[in-house]
Amino acid sequence: MTTTIILVVMSLLALTCLLWLAKGRTVSASILQNPTEHMRAVDVEAFRNLVDPDEEEFLRAHLSPPEFRRIQRERLRAAVEYVSCAAQNAAILLRVADAGRRSSDPATAQAAEKLVDNAIRLRLYASLAIPRLYMGMILPGAHISPIRIAESYEQMTRLVVLLGCLQYPTRGISAAL
Amino acid sequence: MTVSSAVSYYLWVVPHVLLGTIVFGMIRRRSYRHFPMFLLYTVFEILQFGLLFGISLSPVGLESYKHAYSIGLGFSAGVRFAVIYELYRHFSRRYPTLDGPGRYLFCGSIVVLLVIATAVGVSAPATSANSFFNATYALDRAVSVLQAGLLISLFAFSRYFALSWRTHAFGIALGLGIFASVELATSFVWLHLGAFGNRAVNLFTMATYHLCVLIWMFYLLRPEEPTSYILNPLPKHDLDVWNNELQRLVQR
Repeated sequence: MTTTIILVVMSLLALTCLLWLAKGRTVSASILQNPTEHMRAVDVEAFRNLVDPDEEEFLRAHLSPPEFRRIQRERLRAAVEYVSCAAQNAAILLRVADAGRRSSDPATAQAAEKLVDNAIRLRLYASLAIPRLYMGMILPGAHISPIRIAESYEQMTRLVVLLGCLQYPTRGISAAL
Repeated sequence: MTVSSAVSYYLWVVPHVLLGTIVFGMIRRRSYRHFPMFLLYTVFEILQFGLLFGISLSPVGLESYKHAYSIGLGFSAGVRFAVIYELYRHFSRRYPTLDGPGRYLFCGSIVVLLVIATAVGVSAPATSANSFFNATYALDRAVSVLQAGLLISLFAFSRYFALSWRTHAFGIALGLGIFASVELATSFVWLHLGAFGNRAVNLFTMATYHLCVLIWMFYLLRPEEPTSYILNPLPKHDLDVWNNELQRLVQR
């Protein structure tokens, strides 16, 4: 009896989870009404600095081991925050660019296609980088190199500007980046 | 005819009539080109219903009905897997970058869910003296675990990457997901009751299927909604940032 109840409850939890995930579709649609309000500023240079191996080596050489570990954890925690922000922006931009892909103007459609591609890549890199950054927090000595995130984010930013110019010559969303 | 029988007949016949309208609508709108496996599934469900309804009215007996039902269940499960794969392919086509990760997710999910389904199958006791029926219902449970799990991963995947669903694909996935989850729950209840064909459980499953058919009707028989959004004009002080970005773009 107990096993049956557990299995039935798990099935119902699966149903609830499915409905919750499906509901997220409409939430995303509401964000599209005003994407700029939901985007957060991301300083790529600051992020680069946080994950720079040379900077890490410098800190390691000049700080005592316990202090280095503490500082490194703080730096990586901040880096996770940056990556999360960039990934969140990418998700919003992906939805915005998705609509642009159906534009009758080939240049706009092409720019939107590239933006979609870059935003997806960034989400992919973010999903790989965040666990590595957390791993770096647990083992502060371990080598991590999520610089690719910064490059991908910069590339995406350029595409947003291009798409904005093509679609709305007098408006834009790049300022939020 | 009792009220319970009348409800039972209603829940058995009406969803299949509605499936007929879905088939008609899909052919008329040519949406079967995007989801051929779903069309095959609906057509098969209608044909299976016709066969089973015919058997139930004929004097051939319950055993023949159960055999026909079991064989149909196996084929239906196979086609539903094809529909889920079709939904994964739908995202791969729309977002070519996700082709590789999507395939990994699909294969990875199948492996993990197979382990779960096997564990569930092994832990569940046999409830019938007939090994054919035991195998059929064990397979049904395993299939429900796999299908519900795959659809949850698909929804999670699309949510993480903020992918936009086409209306039709969303409707198909939602209906299938709800049905697979509820069928999984009811299969465990069946297992506990130790009798196939408990009336209340059957009615609940049939009502859920009816709901899923209505969901499919709602999403498949209406035109695809275009994605529209409005970008608010930027405040004046942001124009400098905008120009700087443009300048950077030109200089590259």
